[in-house]
Amino acid sequence: MDLLLSPQLLAAALIAGALYALVALGLNLIYGTMRLLNVAHGELVMVGSYVASWSFSLLGLGPWPALVLSPVAAGLLGYGLYRGLFRRLLANPALSQRIEANSLLLFFGISIILQNLVSLLFTATPRGYQPFGGAVIDLGVASVTGGRLLVLVVAGIVTVAAMLLLRFNTVGLAVKALIQNREAASLAGIDTEKLERWSFIAGFAVAGLAGALVSMVEQVSPFMGFPYMIAAFVIIILGGLGNLTGSLIGGLILGLLETYGVALTSPNYRSILVYGVFIAVLLIRPQGLLGRTRIVR
Amino acid sequence: MKPFSSLLPILFFAGMAILPLLAGDYYQGVGFQLLMWIALTQSWVLLSGFTGYISLGHAVFYGLGGYLTVLTWHIVPLPLAIPLSGLVAALFAGLIGYPVMRVRGPYFVILTFGLAELVKYIVINVEAALGKFGRLMMGAPGLSTLYWVMLALAVAATLLVVLVGRSRFGAGLRAIREDEPAAETVGVPTARYKLGAYALSAAIPGMVGGLAALRTSYFEPQQIFSPTISFTVVTMAMIGGSDRARGPLMGALFLVLLSELLWANLAELYMIILGLLLIGFVLFAPSGIDGLLRRRFGR
Repeated sequence: MDLLLSPQLLAAALIAGALYALVALGLNLIYGTMRLLNVAHGELVMVGSYVASWSFSLLGLGPWPALVLSPVAAGLLGYGLYRGLFRRLLANPALSQRIEANSLLLFFGISIILQNLVSLLFTATPRGYQPFGGAVIDLGVASVTGGRLLVLVVAGIVTVAAMLLLRFNTVGLAVKALIQNREAASLAGIDTEKLERWSFIAGFAVAGLAGALVSMVEQVSPFMGFPYMIAAFVIIILGGLGNLTGSLIGGLILGLLETYGVALTSPNYRSILVYGVFIAVLLIRPQGLLGRTRIVR
Repeated sequence: MKPFSSLLPILFFAGMAILPLLAGDYYQGVGFQLLMWIALTQSWVLLSGFTGYISLGHAVFYGLGGYLTVLTWHIVPLPLAIPLSGLVAALFAGLIGYPVMRVRGPYFVILTFGLAELVKYIVINVEAALGKFGRLMMGAPGLSTLYWVMLALAVAATLLVVLVGRSRFGAGLRAIREDEPAAETVGVPTARYKLGAYALSAAIPGMVGGLAALRTSYFEPQQIFSPTISFTVVTMAMIGGSDRARGPLMGALFLVLLSELLWANLAELYMIILGLLLIGFVLFAPSGIDGLLRRRFGR
């Protein structure tokens, strides 16, 4: 029982939850606005991690520049893919009629290309680095490494900022309108094409940022993305597809569930727990545990 | 063109039937792989090609079939164990099918994927609890025996797609794909049809999984429930063209040949080309090789 009340465990759960919420934010932005199912989302996290790891170990830049370089690199990748592939998919009526299936296949292709390209160029060997020299910071009730504290702070700030933006800023409101009803948003004078392009890029950039953060606490490898993609899908199912506040809550729920679940049982049950919750939620409430807004087709 | 095109699968399988008489072990092994992918992809088409409910977790039936064959190894004779594996996979689909097939669109895709992963981790934990980390299967039948059984399965799966495609049941499934509420309105028993398609499309991967486990004579849950299997099946169906029997034949043939050319020395390059092909087909040839050929040569 002591274990469950330990602030150390709570800190671990919050860090995991904040990171998950950030990863899911990008996925949700892209799904919500365009109904594109990005199964390559984990690979974007991976790309962000590699950029961060290089800027740290090859360029010797320290941990801070990665927070800019990784999202910029992932955002540029997003821009290229949008112009090259997804604008065509969205513009072609025959293809966009089955947009979810088609986008899933496209992103699946992108995902295996990215994994294997990185593996071909930089080998499959996992690599890691210690930001802040691995220093441990005492928060009074719990101690965390500098890297983990940075994860908590940055992921928390970005996720909350994104939510505030969506609630109170005109562009944010336009994004919300787009999520709720594309045709109506277009009729209301919103430049949907431009907004979609930017949502796409922003979704990628956020994933890149999450990757930079991941690289500070985990090892980096070409195939590291998969569990993050799964976690992100679990979260947006928990929170409701297209519901950004839901994905923040979903991220925290998953972080808590995973950390406490593993502490209570055994690390072996981690995946069973995650997938079990995921399937239960899908079967009981396919529109998401917190989902209220129906996505208009 | 029409009589020729329906002759194509017959010629193909006739060729596959004489292959073991001409070729050595290596090419028989490749042939076994090819037939395996054909059987899996045809079974996927039965569900996803016809109904439009894209399954991303077909590996679950393959894995369950393999696991059952392994569990009953040396207990139940093989001629019984293989059909039993198919039956258990179909029963599993029938059992979970009712709630699962109610979930639509993108939710269905990720649900099937999650389900396969859940079952994989359950089996991993069961095996760990039993103290088993991989099982060896001594004395499995030789390649040529397995080849003939796999050939029979691939033919059966192809026939099933042809027959269902021409039946009232198949027409109902296609109606579900085009517009499910409308299909319901005109009297298609959608729930029962979907459940039937799900169970039917599970039986063949169950048996294929059993054979595949015998072929490798080694069982490891991480491998037999691998999501790569589900993904490869979807890719083959997409590249071939997905709602008639010829599509999976062409998709599987194309990818197996490609992987034979590249896999041995350039696994990563093979995967990259796979990804590029998938993107190319989705954007520029959504009806697959079959569709391209049809457009080129009329029907």
